[in-house]
Amino acid sequence: MPKGIGIAIVLALALGVTGCSGAPRPSAGKQKANTVVRSCGQSLSVSEAPHRAVTLDQSSTETLLALGLADRMAGTSYLKTSIAPRYRTDYKKVPVLSPKTLTSEQLRAANPDLAVASFAELYGKDRVGTRKELADSGLPSYVSAVDCPHRSKPGMTPFDLLFQDYENLGRMFHAERRAQKLIDSQRKSVQRAQSVRKKIRNKPSVVWIYSVFDGAPYVAGKGGLPSEMSRLVGAENAFDDVDEQWPEVSWEAVADRDPDLIVLGDLPELGQPGDSARDKLRMLRKDPLTSKLSAVRKKRVLTVPGIEMDPSVRSVHTLGLLAEETKDRGYAR
Amino acid sequence: MPADPVEQGAVTRESDGAQQSTDLTASPLHPSHRAAPGATGAYRKHPPVRSERGPGALRPVVFLAGFALLVASMAVSVRIGISDVGYADLGRVLGSRLGLSLRPLPPLVDSLIWDLRVPRVLLAAFVGATLATCGATLQAVTGNALADPYLLGVSSGASSGAVSVVVLGVGAGSLGVTGGAFAGALASFGLLMLLLRRSGLDSVRILLTGVAVGQLFMALTSLIVMASGDAETTRAVAHWLLGSMASARWEGVAICATVTAAGLFVLWSCSTALDGFAFGQDTAASLGINVRAVQNVLLMVTALLTAVAVAFVGAIGFVGLIVPHCVRFAVGPLHRSLLPFSALGGAVFLVATDAVARVAFAPREVPVGVFTALLGAPVFAVILRRRGGL
Repeated sequence: MPKGIGIAIVLALALGVTGCSGAPRPSAGKQKANTVVRSCGQSLSVSEAPHRAVTLDQSSTETLLALGLADRMAGTSYLKTSIAPRYRTDYKKVPVLSPKTLTSEQLRAANPDLAVASFAELYGKDRVGTRKELADSGLPSYVSAVDCPHRSKPGMTPFDLLFQDYENLGRMFHAERRAQKLIDSQRKSVQRAQSVRKKIRNKPSVVWIYSVFDGAPYVAGKGGLPSEMSRLVGAENAFDDVDEQWPEVSWEAVADRDPDLIVLGDLPELGQPGDSARDKLRMLRKDPLTSKLSAVRKKRVLTVPGIEMDPSVRSVHTLGLLAEETKDRGYAR
Repeated sequence: MPADPVEQGAVTRESDGAQQSTDLTASPLHPSHRAAPGATGAYRKHPPVRSERGPGALRPVVFLAGFALLVASMAVSVRIGISDVGYADLGRVLGSRLGLSLRPLPPLVDSLIWDLRVPRVLLAAFVGATLATCGATLQAVTGNALADPYLLGVSSGASSGAVSVVVLGVGAGSLGVTGGAFAGALASFGLLMLLLRRSGLDSVRILLTGVAVGQLFMALTSLIVMASGDAETTRAVAHWLLGSMASARWEGVAICATVTAAGLFVLWSCSTALDGFAFGQDTAASLGINVRAVQNVLLMVTALLTAVAVAFVGAIGFVGLIVPHCVRFAVGPLHRSLLPFSALGGAVFLVATDAVARVAFAPREVPVGVFTALLGAPVFAVILRRRGGL
């Protein structure tokens, strides 16, 4: 190992040195400084806007498409559900490197100049390789601020962190204006939802069901985006006492909370029983306990695209749906 | 004072062992069984090279040929993957490492070959060799044809360790999943030896205690996964249980190379004792083998070897179980040649299988553990059929 690693390190250093010594020459004419962005413990430095970015999951794909960067992408991967209609035309312009998670070889073979991921765990050794390895080969790797809350300023909501992503990516790609536009429009959506909170009469409790695996529902716990979205519209996430993003609970526990409103994530493309909202609704109606819940009997059930329950550029859509639902059901004036 | 009960135990154990030995003669692993088919004529159809030409005459030549096959399969395997690597590119990568002034490849392509592909193929060879040799050794030590390297519960311990690191973040930074898996594997083996300390090391005891320890750690793993219940942990467990070469890197190659070389040498030096064990423990003892001491060494070495292999690539099944049997058909039951040929066979098999796993369902990569059984089982069934018995 010392030999292999030693050689690798020497080579990485050598590449680094030549890279550094080569850089000043072009910049001497243009006076263009490197753009440096902090991302989850690493500072990423790009001398020019990336033009061969590769995304490691659907949320980062959609974020880049929302920023209008389709022509700067060399590939996408890991599709969880169908792409939102408004990004579909752009999405078709970018090659799909893998429908599932990317492997370390696939990423390198695509010859990217930036990797973008929503989850730090996608940079695993058995996935695309660690961020350090990629940095050693000269590839900067971005991790969404949402999946790295311990590195962010305390008190930032998931939406604040999403906006931080747009800003960072906007700077790296020299698309600051589009990023700012996206932030402004999404911030407006958040404020619109927040306006419901002021008019709330009696605080409704919400159970968010992401998926059902082996008969057990995965619900939103504290700390995830659904908890924040509930808070924003003046409702309360019924499983806020569980300090986990998506804890696995039982139908009995759901029945016990007796929520005013149930939100079902729709993930029909995953193809397992319990992934589509229709399956979940059927299970709710079939279970002897949950079928008697007032939310189920009175059909106070809201269906949203499952992917929007996790922080992404699409999340404000679900936030809007929740705000509407809260108003329509008469919890707000 | 403790000397007495131990002596006592040894005596009762010996009588156990005597009973055992009658069972062992019935075991298909017993050398007498392999001599028998010659009389029935089965061997006349497929004459083994060894019995005709005298033992050992052709061995070095055959071994060298096997080694050449291994090198060839590695050379081919290094090219195969999501993106094909030409020998010219490979030459440039290796050449620039050797200090030749060649135009270097783009850093990411270089990294694909040097940081991923080359160590992966090497690691597959070392792990394959380790598993097959450990399997052959444990089959002799326990006198059981179904013994494989995971018999001692090492892989279950490794999964527990790996999952603990993922879930609890215990030393996640310094130890890592690999370190956690290794620690878990050692813990399970420690428990096994602790349980066997009083009762002695007869074959059935080793088997059953291994199964018990394995089940215990499996339950522990499930408990940790259930309690944490997140998708990433479940994925990590699946990785350890199936075995995958995707996380192979140079440090794994270096450690595996060292441990494998040392461990296989120790096992090989115990060849005579292993031959003796095939006749039962009391026969082995009468041949002047210090049964308990040798067994301790063998168990310890196989556990350590398996722990290292599992820590880096997870529990790849089938290699350690079937390759020794296939090799036994070819070179006979004597461990002096069975062990090195098992090492070669395991290495070739895993290198080839991993290459298939990389491309068979491209762009998705299938864990190699799926393919070892998928490809190995039919091959073994054919061999078994042609030879008409173990």
